[in-house]
Amino acid sequence: MLRFVLRRLLTTIPMVLVVVSLTWGLIRIAPGNFYSGERAIPAAIVQNIRAKYGLDKPWYVQYGRMVGNIARGDFGISLKYLGQPVNEILRTSLPVSAILGTLAYVLALVVGILSGTIAATRPNSRVDYASMTAAMVGISVPNFVLGPVLVMVFSLTLFWLPPARWEGFSVNLIMPVLTLSALYMAYIARLTRSGMLEVLRSNYIRTARAKGLSERQVLLRHALRGGLLPVVSFSGPALAYLITGTVVVERVFALPGLGNYFINANLNRDEPLVIGIVAFTSIAILLFNLAVDLLYGLIDPRVRL
Amino acid sequence: MVAAASLLCIAGCTKAASHGRYFGKVSPPAGQELRYISGSEPESLDPHISTGQPEARIFLALYDGLTEIHPLTSVPIPSMAERWESSIGNTEFVFHLRANLRWSDGTPITADDFVWSLRRGLAPALAARAAYMAYDIEYAQAYNEGGVFVKDPKTGRFMADPDSPEHRLVLPGEPKAREKALAAEDLAGARGQQFVPARAEDVGIEAVDARTLRLRLMRPIPFLPGLLTHQFFRPVPRGPIEKYGDAWTRPEHIVTSGAFTLQTWKPYDRLIVVRNPMFWDAARVKLDRITFYPMDDYTTMMNLYKAGDVDAVFNHVPPAAWVDDLRTYQDYMDKPEIAIEYYMYNTTRPPLTDVRVRKALNMAIDKVALARYRRTQKPLTAFTPEGIFPGYPQPAGDPFDPSRAKALLVEAGYTNAAGAYDPSRVPVADLELTYNTADSNKQVAEFVQAQWKQNLGLTISIKNMEWKTFLATRAALDYKGIARSGWIGDYMDPYTFLALFSTVAGDNGTGWFDPKFVDLLVAANREIDPQKRFERLAEAEKMILDVQPVIPLTTQATNWMKKPYVKGMYANPQDLFAWKFAYIEHDPAKWAEDPPPVIN
Repeated sequence: MLRFVLRRLLTTIPMVLVVVSLTWGLIRIAPGNFYSGERAIPAAIVQNIRAKYGLDKPWYVQYGRMVGNIARGDFGISLKYLGQPVNEILRTSLPVSAILGTLAYVLALVVGILSGTIAATRPNSRVDYASMTAAMVGISVPNFVLGPVLVMVFSLTLFWLPPARWEGFSVNLIMPVLTLSALYMAYIARLTRSGMLEVLRSNYIRTARAKGLSERQVLLRHALRGGLLPVVSFSGPALAYLITGTVVVERVFALPGLGNYFINANLNRDEPLVIGIVAFTSIAILLFNLAVDLLYGLIDPRVRL
Repeated sequence: MVAAASLLCIAGCTKAASHGRYFGKVSPPAGQELRYISGSEPESLDPHISTGQPEARIFLALYDGLTEIHPLTSVPIPSMAERWESSIGNTEFVFHLRANLRWSDGTPITADDFVWSLRRGLAPALAARAAYMAYDIEYAQAYNEGGVFVKDPKTGRFMADPDSPEHRLVLPGEPKAREKALAAEDLAGARGQQFVPARAEDVGIEAVDARTLRLRLMRPIPFLPGLLTHQFFRPVPRGPIEKYGDAWTRPEHIVTSGAFTLQTWKPYDRLIVVRNPMFWDAARVKLDRITFYPMDDYTTMMNLYKAGDVDAVFNHVPPAAWVDDLRTYQDYMDKPEIAIEYYMYNTTRPPLTDVRVRKALNMAIDKVALARYRRTQKPLTAFTPEGIFPGYPQPAGDPFDPSRAKALLVEAGYTNAAGAYDPSRVPVADLELTYNTADSNKQVAEFVQAQWKQNLGLTISIKNMEWKTFLATRAALDYKGIARSGWIGDYMDPYTFLALFSTVAGDNGTGWFDPKFVDLLVAANREIDPQKRFERLAEAEKMILDVQPVIPLTTQATNWMKKPYVKGMYANPQDLFAWKFAYIEHDPAKWAEDPPPVIN
């Protein structure tokens, strides 16, 4: 088990390096520069800027510096937001995205598993149809529609909730969390339902029932364990994606999270910031996937690491 | 998103109908506090570094200038300088500073601060993007570009510039480029001489005494006081910059000169400024604090405005689809702005090398209809914005005239055997309309495309491009035919638009360049009498309209909103506000009126 974890952690390094190098190359290929704007800048000023940021050096020197920075865990200074270290940007914006993402995911898990399980135990009943219809809607309605509709109803018509902005843990969080959560809630409900349906038909459940266990015990102790495996494997990448920032929700609700920075960093060709966020996100995805694999070992008795 | 926006509008219409004269909730904040949406996250709070409007809106609170922007008309008004005079044909200006100028940490602001600041802004190592704003100041460009003077080692005298004998000759600092420049015949005398790099001390700014500042210019710049309202010329504090480097703009280190000083800065969240008691005009400042909210999504901004969570939004925020409705409210701000939209022609490639084709395509577009369709624009036939420069005798461009357009194409030889206009002869494959990706740009492009189809029978394809790719393509004249463009004036003078064509490079983008045009501009700026100068500038503008390297489309309208209790903010052509004039009026009886500002 320890060897497995170590081996996986070691393979993370070349994978992150590949992702970061590709990103770095793509920024080079993309036309324009962090300093190019609506107005043309005189050539001499461009020279000054390139010299200041070391862009006049050969590509391997710049690449080496970038890799060196990552190795030291210091992503350098943002080119666009002068004087702001990328690490500091990550430190201030990540908590916002993480709080938002975690809350949304917890909500999605609770509601999704609950309604999925209920639906699976009463297949083709009214409850089943109702929850699966709701899930279908949740999957089909994109968050850039759901968010504004919530705002329209609760902020602009009823004047109950503030339409946007970050105020820490406050009522401001309700609509963004709901908006973000809807899709995942729906997915999890469907995954739980199909996983549970399959498990409930399996032999070991029949055995459990034959032993004379109550339906509740069968469900909670035996069925749920197996039925949730698809949810667990879905959760790794989903959670990694959620807590590293979600562009649409952060923009619609004007939240100072990582997603906002990421989209703007790309538009601004802000290389250190893009590299920093990409490196951070890819590490997060790899680690969450590792966590999923470990969880599998705990939940499913057939899996041995 | 569009669907959601229109849903919101429907909600907006019904809600507001019940509320009456103002859009959304009207509930003033308790004290003298203003909440303003300022646009994208500021790049930096260093006025030498940031060049954008979102920053400029904030800089007007933090940094004062020799001159400030008039809240109603945008013309320059005295600020740190209580008066000034120009001499030697507008090539030298003397500014007299007020006696009670202090930084927010209490240290006095003297003429030396202005000298140090400008030198810092121009230092090549700082790499300020807006340094070109100061290039008209003597040797500012030479210093910023790392140029050299030519010195005779025997006499110690500097060689004069053959084109402008009152100034020293400046050559490129980089040896290869210099060799090339020296190949020119009239510079033969410079070969073998000593090359002396231009230094900060050579820049034409001088502290005559603690309260007197002299600026020497390379050429006559009658509009200098207007230019000086730009953020690049607002002084920055030497002490904190030398101590903290790039980190000097952090709330714990920053020292400011304006009506306000920085209290909190949370990126992508909020930036709060509070009253600066050291400000020379502190008695006038009524607001205790301003909270600037940086954000990017326009619908979100309007939601916040409607819900009453902010008191004003910056210009161009209300989406065009809402404007017909918003116009019916008293809190909608609608005036012409110092900004135009136009299309550039690539005049270096046929068929647009032919002025008749350029004129024909221009005359086939109904700009009045375009402006009506766009809602937030006013029609434009000339090149400078119409109706914002008092006294400027603006020439008129060609009117909408499809039959004249066809006649021009006939003259250009696009005829069938019978000699009548034949659209199929026009090489539309060599024409293409390129715009940077944005819904509004697409709408305009489709509108113009339809006009050409309808009025000339030409099907010209349109193509969108990502912003930075678009800029690179346009600058290199790599576009086929026609490309979108817009220009926001830097200062309140027609020259800021006309100067686009004073070089072949830069923001020109059309490939059209005529030394005679440049001579006209130079002559205009030598003129001491402002009215005569305007007449010369109008001649230059007429020349643009005759050669038609562009298709003028529209003048921007201000298009922003403020709650009725916000006073001292007006729809001025630059939509930049000297915040010392702004305040919250808690008495609803006074909401209907906007009293004019009192300028000292």
